[in-house]
Amino acid sequence: MNNSMSRQAARLLLLPTWMIAFAILIKGYSDSGDGFSAGVIAALGVIMQYITFGTETAEKLRPVRYARQISMAGLLVALSTAFIPVLRGQPIMTHYPGPGNAATHIGSLELTTPFLFDVGVFLLVMGVCIGIFDLLAHATRRERRP
Amino acid sequence: MNATLVLLLAALFAAPFTAAFGTARPSLTRPVAIVTTAIAFLAALYNAFRPGPVIDKEWAPAWGMRLHFEADGIAVLFALLATGIGLAVVIYASGYLPLHLHHEHRPEADQTRFFAFILLFMGAMTGLVMAQDLMLIFLFWDLTAIASYYLIGFDSQRRDARVSAFMALIVTGISAVGFLIGALMLDAEFGSFQLPTLIDTLVPNYESDIALVLILIAALAKSAQVPLHFWLPRAMAAPTPVSAYLHSAAMVAAGVFLIGRFYPLVTLRQWMLDGLLVVGIASMLTGGVLALTRDNMKQLLAYSTIAQYGYIVTMFGLGGTAGVFGAMFALIAHGLGKSALFLTAGTVTEATGARELSAVGDLWRKMPLLAVASALSAASLAAIPLTMGFFKDEYFFEAAAHHGRAMQIISVAAAAMTFCYLARFWWGIFGGPNIGDVKPVPFTLVGPIVALGALSLIGGIWPAPFAKVAEKAGQVALQSDDSFHPAYHIEWTTENGMAIAAIGIGLALFFTRRVWFDSVELAEVFGARFGPERAYRAGVLNLNNLSDRIHWIEVRDLRSRVATVLAPAALMIVFTLIFTNADNSFRIGRIQWDDFPLIMMMAVAAIAGLAAAIPRDHFSMALALSGVGYALSVVFALLRAPDVALVAVLVETLLGLLLFAFLGLLPRNVEHADVVPSDEPQEAGHRHRMRDWVLAAIGGSLAFLVSWGVLSRPAPIDSILEDYVELTPDAHGGAVVTVILADFRGLDTMGEITVIGIAFLGIATFIRRRRAR
Repeated sequence: MNNSMSRQAARLLLLPTWMIAFAILIKGYSDSGDGFSAGVIAALGVIMQYITFGTETAEKLRPVRYARQISMAGLLVALSTAFIPVLRGQPIMTHYPGPGNAATHIGSLELTTPFLFDVGVFLLVMGVCIGIFDLLAHATRRERRP
Repeated sequence: MNATLVLLLAALFAAPFTAAFGTARPSLTRPVAIVTTAIAFLAALYNAFRPGPVIDKEWAPAWGMRLHFEADGIAVLFALLATGIGLAVVIYASGYLPLHLHHEHRPEADQTRFFAFILLFMGAMTGLVMAQDLMLIFLFWDLTAIASYYLIGFDSQRRDARVSAFMALIVTGISAVGFLIGALMLDAEFGSFQLPTLIDTLVPNYESDIALVLILIAALAKSAQVPLHFWLPRAMAAPTPVSAYLHSAAMVAAGVFLIGRFYPLVTLRQWMLDGLLVVGIASMLTGGVLALTRDNMKQLLAYSTIAQYGYIVTMFGLGGTAGVFGAMFALIAHGLGKSALFLTAGTVTEATGARELSAVGDLWRKMPLLAVASALSAASLAAIPLTMGFFKDEYFFEAAAHHGRAMQIISVAAAAMTFCYLARFWWGIFGGPNIGDVKPVPFTLVGPIVALGALSLIGGIWPAPFAKVAEKAGQVALQSDDSFHPAYHIEWTTENGMAIAAIGIGLALFFTRRVWFDSVELAEVFGARFGPERAYRAGVLNLNNLSDRIHWIEVRDLRSRVATVLAPAALMIVFTLIFTNADNSFRIGRIQWDDFPLIMMMAVAAIAGLAAAIPRDHFSMALALSGVGYALSVVFALLRAPDVALVAVLVETLLGLLLFAFLGLLPRNVEHADVVPSDEPQEAGHRHRMRDWVLAAIGGSLAFLVSWGVLSRPAPIDSILEDYVELTPDAHGGAVVTVILADFRGLDTMGEITVIGIAFLGIATFIRRRRAR
């Protein structure tokens, strides 16, 4: 796709896409959307770069190079929020602060462990989507031009 | 300090310690293994004098499982055997294994694995004998089976070693499942996994009978009793120290241990004791007869182990103080004697290269120390006076004497056979004609045998300390305070008479062996033709074939692979459709004008679905499928479900992109070809097309029926959804869907994201391998 329009649009749209993903992630707990949708949106922004600029250019983006690490870190974050309560002798997946206790606020964002869990989901989904696409991009490139 | 805990931890940590140090520095493997085993042995010894307190901690309270350990008499006896003989074997192996690895052309570093698994076995055995919770017993029981698998299959480059290891694992592992079922039945019936509680409360009934029989079968399989004995001679494929350990003091002893542990429950039913008696006698005679003619040293000892454990099981079956105390004492005597003889066989093979009795001879002159030590051990097993084993037969005969003439004859016959095959073993190695040269062997290959032989002699002259250990174990099994004082009685008693008869007949058998040898050897042929091993082999083979056939159906082509997943699922759905109460389902609601946009979008989805079904090229099919998805997400939006609509759009986009990317992976000719293969003959193509139509019609109408049925059913009034909505503010959230995902049903989400992570790894491997090809 060597259309200069689409190139321009793709380049301009990458940061806004991430912004929206980030907003959905933060807003997720009080509004529509969650870590999963945020992760997919962030990944779609990157996939757009693959489609318009090709594998070489897209791979210079940081999330692509560390896709695997991002996904595994996300899984680790999510699993730790689930399992750390077990170490403290509470049932698995106990969230803090409990009902009735006030949570710390940053603006309208409440800092709670479900949010942390959601961040884990976000990182995992983003990493996996980008990672799979990167693998596919490599696989198809080799096959096309032997 | 808590002596029980020290023993448990010392035994359990020996293996990880050895593995860690050995991996870091291979030269540390042997010293660390010896030191950790010695510490465990000292801890066991301390517990023999001053038993530590009971450990009883909560483990999984919801299931009534407890970390319940006790250093009672039985535990001390078996822990002493496991760690003491373990120490002798580990010292022996430290000299043996480098030579063995050298013969097998393997790197020296492999010995770390060996020692780690032997010590794992020791730890599992020690934990097993101290555990009082049925689930703990099961856990350690299986751990011993796993450790034995790796030990028997240590020479994994050899096929017979792998087959033997698998056989031992299957026979003892499947019977272990029986144990688990038995334990669960006891818990269901009497409400406890704790053995002391069960002993106090159990009133025998139908369920407890089944449970105990299952447990006894597990025990007998582990102790290699007829008819589940066939794995033991095969397991001789293991390196000699493993045979010496597993088949004298550890693995087979675990089975008898279990009988001892459950003995208070077993004695509640006389027929169970009679069953033990029958199995014990059968094993005693089968093992004895087969051992008489074996030429391979280790095979001879293996069959002798079957026979000797048959003795012990018989003694448990006979019961009473003589039987049970005698069985416990026999365990010690047999463990010491048999391990020494196994180690002797290993040393002799190392020195001469021979594995058969017929290939060695006259080593008496060349290895006098070894000859004396193994003579003591053999004498002990053959129950010669002034060795420890004499008392085991003494009590065996005493128990048998009260059970009629037939039992007396059987016991004398078994003892005579024991004497004869052990005499053949010893004479075959150390006497007879001089054959071949002898290489010098390191002292570690002789020292442990001398120590074990010396113990057999000491136990014969001063049996009190060993008797004390056996007494305490017997008291636990009998739940009584009876005492046990073996001593020599130089007078005419029935037992002494039977002992003299046994030795006399044994001597006669030994000197007339040329006469009967060939006819007894026929027993082996008979066993190979009609024995239970054939049933095992046929069973394994048929199961394997069945599994292969199912596997082949699954992997034959893409169509059958999809079918193996979808066909069972479809069947289940059909069953659900038939058996679900459909009173309020399958209604047609009224259509209102407000629904018009919704109906329009559904029509778009339907048209896109039809378009996807028209076979053109893959690309347009993928596009049409995406169209279905987008139309449906609009439907969700119209139904005022913004979260679902958002996810649907995103997933549809992502899936579409992935689908197009995957199309790029298809070979070029497939990518642009017609979807319907054109190289098929016209008629076959036609038939396939008909079949596809029929299948699609059935599948489509089923899906339609299910969706209609489910969607037209009115929502239940007491739905948990309202609770979710109500509780959302308490969970610090505003969006119910997100809160459900991350909090209320967070465990589900956790499972799902783990699957995503694993799927990613799978895809990565799959694509990489494809690229590498």
